[in-house]
Amino acid sequence: MTTRPDSRARLAGGLLLWYGVLGGAVAWAVHLLVAWPLDELTCAAGSEKISAVPLWQAVGLAVVLPGLVTAGSLAVAALAWRRTARAQSAGVQDPAFGRSRMLAVVGIWANLLFLTIIVLGGVAVLVLPACQR
Amino acid sequence: MSTTTTPSPGISREDLTRLGAHWGEPASLRSWFTTVDHKRIGRRYLVTAGFFFVLAGLSALVMRTQLARPEAGVVSPQQYNQLFTMHGTAMIFLFATPMLFGFGNFLVPLMIGSRDMAFPRLNAFGYWVFLFAGLFMWASLPFGAAPNNGWFAYAPLSSEAHNPGLHMDVYALGLLFLGISTTSASINFIVTALKLRAPGMSLNRVPLFVWAIVATAFMVIFALPALNLDNAMLFLDRRFGTHFFDPSAGGNVLLWQHLFWIFGHPDVYIIVMPALGIVSAVLPAFTRRGVVGYPLIVLSIVSISIISFGVWVHHMFATGLPQLSYSFFSAASTIITIPSGIQIFAWLATMALGRLVLRVPLLFVIGFIVTFVLGGFTGAMFALTAFDQQVTDSYFVVAHFHYVLIGGAVFPMLAGLYYWLPKISGRMYHERLGRWAFWLVFAGMHVTFFPMHLYGLFGMPRRVYTYRSEPGWDGWNLVSTAGSYLLAVGLLLVLVGVLHALLRGRPAPGDPWEGDSLEWATASPPEPYNFPVLPRVHSLHPAWDARTAESTTTGATADRILSAGRRTLVTSELDAHRERAVEMPESSVKPLLLAGALLVLFTSLLFAWYPVAAVAALIVAATIAVWLWPPRRPDEELGVVA
Amino acid sequence: MTDRGGVLAAATGAEALSTELPVGRSTGWWGMVMFVATEATLFACLLGSYFYLRFQYGPQWPPDGIEDPKLLKPLVMTAVLLPSSLPVVWAEHGIRRGQRWRLRAGLTATLLLGATFLTLQATEYAEKLKHFTMTTDVYGSLFYLITGFHGLHVLVGLTMIGWLLAASLRGGSFGAHRHDRVRNAAIYWHFVDLVWIAILFTIYLSPRL
Repeated sequence: MTTRPDSRARLAGGLLLWYGVLGGAVAWAVHLLVAWPLDELTCAAGSEKISAVPLWQAVGLAVVLPGLVTAGSLAVAALAWRRTARAQSAGVQDPAFGRSRMLAVVGIWANLLFLTIIVLGGVAVLVLPACQR
Repeated sequence: MSTTTTPSPGISREDLTRLGAHWGEPASLRSWFTTVDHKRIGRRYLVTAGFFFVLAGLSALVMRTQLARPEAGVVSPQQYNQLFTMHGTAMIFLFATPMLFGFGNFLVPLMIGSRDMAFPRLNAFGYWVFLFAGLFMWASLPFGAAPNNGWFAYAPLSSEAHNPGLHMDVYALGLLFLGISTTSASINFIVTALKLRAPGMSLNRVPLFVWAIVATAFMVIFALPALNLDNAMLFLDRRFGTHFFDPSAGGNVLLWQHLFWIFGHPDVYIIVMPALGIVSAVLPAFTRRGVVGYPLIVLSIVSISIISFGVWVHHMFATGLPQLSYSFFSAASTIITIPSGIQIFAWLATMALGRLVLRVPLLFVIGFIVTFVLGGFTGAMFALTAFDQQVTDSYFVVAHFHYVLIGGAVFPMLAGLYYWLPKISGRMYHERLGRWAFWLVFAGMHVTFFPMHLYGLFGMPRRVYTYRSEPGWDGWNLVSTAGSYLLAVGLLLVLVGVLHALLRGRPAPGDPWEGDSLEWATASPPEPYNFPVLPRVHSLHPAWDARTAESTTTGATADRILSAGRRTLVTSELDAHRERAVEMPESSVKPLLLAGALLVLFTSLLFAWYPVAAVAALIVAATIAVWLWPPRRPDEELGVVA
Repeated sequence: MTDRGGVLAAATGAEALSTELPVGRSTGWWGMVMFVATEATLFACLLGSYFYLRFQYGPQWPPDGIEDPKLLKPLVMTAVLLPSSLPVVWAEHGIRRGQRWRLRAGLTATLLLGATFLTLQATEYAEKLKHFTMTTDVYGSLFYLITGFHGLHVLVGLTMIGWLLAASLRGGSFGAHRHDRVRNAAIYWHFVDLVWIAILFTIYLSPRL
């Protein structure tokens, strides 16, 4: 950390921080926009299968993948928080550290919330028959 | 506390004169129509929204009078339908959001240490559109042609076949018209907060009120299109015979509900979020400390505004969709209470750890917490599908959302009104009068709406224009009516208090509360240029911070005075590093012309004068083209090679 | 491998993570991006409504009496509209270097392509209106609302392009230091182009899936 990171690393770092902050939110949005219409429209068409795949498995996939993305986002936010906190306690004076540290804190808690929502949806997939009204 | 009254040590008399010449507006009729000053526009939003609040409140009083006893005949069923629809529509669209945007307009540039909004002319345009759209909708009531379908206008009752006349055309066109104002104001808030913050105000130093307004603006950007599309389809169905909501030709009435609640649930937070921002802004001055857990409040603002988009189906648990698809929304509806709870506990902790100064704004904040928590509690009950199906469309729901909206929006607005009145008007309000107003409003609110929980559970449906005498209904309805008069008297006292302050109040100093954010670091009322010297921000509470204060006095530099023109500073998005000084637009009559042309457009669409509408559309396009036409500049300044 | 590891380590350092991103955009850029965001949401709702109504309708879609949309004309329209973004990009890069002729030439080319698109759409409407109209059934309502709304956006975009062209022909409007308006209109035009792809898929391709 003695030399300044090059432009590629800085771009990657900046994007990585935003992934840590908003990754869970985006993953949850995708989860909702895929899982809900999948269930509602397939059931409305009177079937419990999407071509050969049982509906509950397809919906389950729309739970597991966003869940993993959110977990990754949580890890990145935690990493960003630790790195910036350490840099600050090492006495590096850069106001940007304070900003990115706050965003990392927001990211950690937000990802925990979104992970909880996705997991609760996953529980419902296991418990409820896909088309029960 | 020191206030930056003129002349201050950091700035010369010549600079002040120049700033006054560039930013000042003569007190003429012309300047009244052409102003682009965010403070004047903000004040207008507050007054106009207050006017629509009075109209909608009077509608409610008529309804309560009608419901005071069973089988009364104060108004006809047709009139009653129009009254409750206009009451709801106006309170949501013409009062709550514009009132909070009015606070935002006045305060955001002051709080972030800027001299105006990013797009001052767009700001003026947004106000005129709001005014015209509000008048457009209310003007239908005296003619008996007001919307009459409830504020969420469910299909198929809104279709031409079931609801002939102009009623729902007024609704669809009025909301489309108003949407232009709301959208442009939101874009303006976002860009202002991103680019015009004072140097040094990185994201971790942005006042919570500004966070709240920006989050609200983002919600508007992504939620309002659903409502606009819904209303466009409704208008096409009614006027031009399309079939979007017509099941006999392949349409679907539930499409209306889906689109409406994709907008509608975020809209609950669009209303409440900036009000919560007001609470976070008011508390520090009356607890003598910063709000506890700043990052967590930012978290809750951001996460609420995102999760609010994933809960809309909970308004439709009674419509018979697969259980599993409900559960995704149930999960989000349950979890969204966590960030809301975080905010409440952060405020309670702030009050517990701080030194309370029990003035009127704090009273309203306490009233807010009590009322809003009760409303939030009944809200959490709806997340249980079984309970929701039991109380849907009963007075229990009416009680719930009035607790949320009066508790969560009106109380904070009143807190904000008393808190910022000295800043807005330069006058102090009368404390005793304010206390009376608080207790009357608080008591009136609970006496009116608490009984609604009861007769809702006893089975009284909402939106009935009268009812047969039933055990448990008659007495409680009378109590509600009495409460509504009490509430009206309390609100009247608020108005009296404001007028008293304007006419008789003693002059307010720049910082009467020793507040923490930048609006208190300038004069009351602020000069047209807001800050003689744009501050350099060093902490989250810049007005409590000696280094920030020094930056506008002994540490003032010419690059933050910018007196050579009508200028303000543009800074970088996240860390607010200085980028450059920009020239701000002068006052102009074009915003008013454009809004007027749009009024002609929408009115002629309403009355089916399509040729007039086509001409108006051309005028709209031409006005925009002239508005944005680039001034002619010499080639050297432009940088042209060939 | 070591090189990539080095980049990863650098990217996850406190300094790289604190990179300011986005940075240095103008207020006009943000205003246009936010406007496009809200417009894109509108189109998303519109196309979402199409699929919602389609899947609720039942197996036969388009409904009885309306045949699947033909593909040839929409594909030609795509071939006209999509490349029309390239001259705008070229023109914008030109004016950034102060080359006014590139701005004028590029805008003219886009104007022509866009007008061709609208003409083709008009001929398509003339053909379709013989078979079904907006009031025939919900398919007709959706078809004309979605394509008509997009056509309206093309018209607005063309007005912007024509307006830029008029301003640049007058002279004294744009140059290497003043090209915000060109870029903002370009953003809108690219958006109108991209939305067409979503519409092509929804209206013309998805009924064949």
